[in-house]
Amino acid sequence: MTSPTTAIRTEALSRSFDGRLALDGLDLEVASGEVLALLGPNGAGKTTTVRLLNGVLRPDRGAATVLGLDSTEDGDEVRRRTGVLTENAGLDDRLTARENLEFAARIRGFGAAEAARRVDDQLERFAMGDQADLPTAGFSTGQRKRLALARALLHDPEILFLDEPTSGLDPTATRDVTNLIGTLARQHGRTVVLATHFLGEAGRIADRMAVLDHGRLRAIGRPDDLAAELWDGIPADIDLGRPATSSVLGLIAAVDGVIHHEVRATGTTINVRDRAAFARVLHTLSTQDVDVFGANLRRASMEDVYFALENSFATEREPAT
Amino acid sequence: MTLAVSRRRGRRTPVDWPVVWSIVRRDLTAVRRSKGVVIPMLLVPTLLMIVLPLVIGIAARRVSGPTTSISFLDAIPDRLAEPIAALPPQEQLLTLVLGFLLAPLFLIVPLMVSAVIAADAFAGEKERRTMETLLHLPITDRDLFLAKLLTGMVPALAVSWGGFAAFTVVANAVSWSYVDGLIVPNQLWLVMIFWVAPAVALLGLGIMVRVSARSQTSQEANQLGGAVILPLIFLTVGQSTGLLLVDLSVGLAVGATVWVLAGLLVWRGARQFTRDRIASTT
Repeated sequence: MTSPTTAIRTEALSRSFDGRLALDGLDLEVASGEVLALLGPNGAGKTTTVRLLNGVLRPDRGAATVLGLDSTEDGDEVRRRTGVLTENAGLDDRLTARENLEFAARIRGFGAAEAARRVDDQLERFAMGDQADLPTAGFSTGQRKRLALARALLHDPEILFLDEPTSGLDPTATRDVTNLIGTLARQHGRTVVLATHFLGEAGRIADRMAVLDHGRLRAIGRPDDLAAELWDGIPADIDLGRPATSSVLGLIAAVDGVIHHEVRATGTTINVRDRAAFARVLHTLSTQDVDVFGANLRRASMEDVYFALENSFATEREPAT
Repeated sequence: MTLAVSRRRGRRTPVDWPVVWSIVRRDLTAVRRSKGVVIPMLLVPTLLMIVLPLVIGIAARRVSGPTTSISFLDAIPDRLAEPIAALPPQEQLLTLVLGFLLAPLFLIVPLMVSAVIAADAFAGEKERRTMETLLHLPITDRDLFLAKLLTGMVPALAVSWGGFAAFTVVANAVSWSYVDGLIVPNQLWLVMIFWVAPAVALLGLGIMVRVSARSQTSQEANQLGGAVILPLIFLTVGQSTGLLLVDLSVGLAVGATVWVLAGLLVWRGARQFTRDRIASTT
């Protein structure tokens, strides 16, 4: 049973094209208000997933439920409540920025006056008021992306599917778009599925990451949790001002959740099972009057985790010798 | 809750006309701004419906004795030839060419306009990479298909009927001093305009819908769909050589045949026009 806070749920979702499996048995659950980064190389199945979730493609097997609706049977109702930014901005270059947005607003059922108001609001929000009446043919990639994002947000969707939202953007525009997505999720409670190659941006805003490889979901979870599985714990540095003594190492080793420890020139590096174990280590050192000058839980970045996973997939694919 | 693939067809919902007309309006606004589409779309009707009758009118002024139309009249059935043969030479030429021979040639107009716009509306949408955006909007497949058909049909009929109005004015103006009464509209022209032309426009759409499904650009679709003009060329050549004469009964029969063909093509096109199929090829 899909819980009331579940925005997206898929079960064994599969789709092939010309006999080639593009998505193979995807099981996924995304909570309302969550930002999920859908990661993977080209051809991994990210765009196919978005198309299946939004009812654009029909699955060969399995099903997808979005906002409690069957994506295949209630596609129009799903699309009414979702906003999509496709990899290509998909603007008609013979129309102006305003006309492109007004068209989408009218299709979404807004009357002329309401459509005009929403379009003006979005153009202002994305600082595109000056270009409102210009044909989009002359727009830069950044302007096109911003306009397409404005279009995706016109109707205040409950779920946003963003396919490569920052590809082709300069660093400033990338930061602005990333911040905006983060704000939508954090302050407005929007559920976001972010299909991207750009791990830095995904790492900044996503709660969880799902890694697709050749159409199969190979890993899903918080980067820290995935890192803990990959590297047998979360690494942490403790600055003691000098190499850790054997008695200090003994105290640390006795703490529940410490997997590994080794001496460093300024203290010790440990691997803990989870964040709580790290807190227990610090508490133990503090109660035993050990001077701690600094402590840093090295949170694995999404990038670290992704490449580690990619390497493990590549190793699996290598023929046994 | 058990999740299972259900393959039942979408539930019947009434056509969302505001949505349909929004798409038509957008497409036609975009077409209007595209010189590559507008120029050929207006050039051919201008040549056929305005320039050609003017040239025929000028040619008629130079006719003083028996004309080549006399020998052509020998090739056509007596019931058609006799009333024309009884006319003075200038009137013969004007009545034969403007009132009779040009009628099937005119069908190029609705066919060309509908085909060019359909190529832009279907294959062009893929070429501009705007199709996927449309597919992610809350529009039913049926409404989207209907909108695309109307996008081709409305201008095809507007240009055809507008062109015919212009042709009527020019043809009657150039023949005014020679002909007693109006040359057009006559029964043959009325059948062509209101019965055959819409069918031909729909045929052009039906063919281009099929062709566009296999094309990635509007140019490719136009090239593949260019063959649609061939039957009309046969018709025109047949008409001008006397081999196949399009009179009233032939016009009605041709219209009925084209309606059936066009209907079949559009019906098949509609069945194959699904989001899934389009998204799979874009």
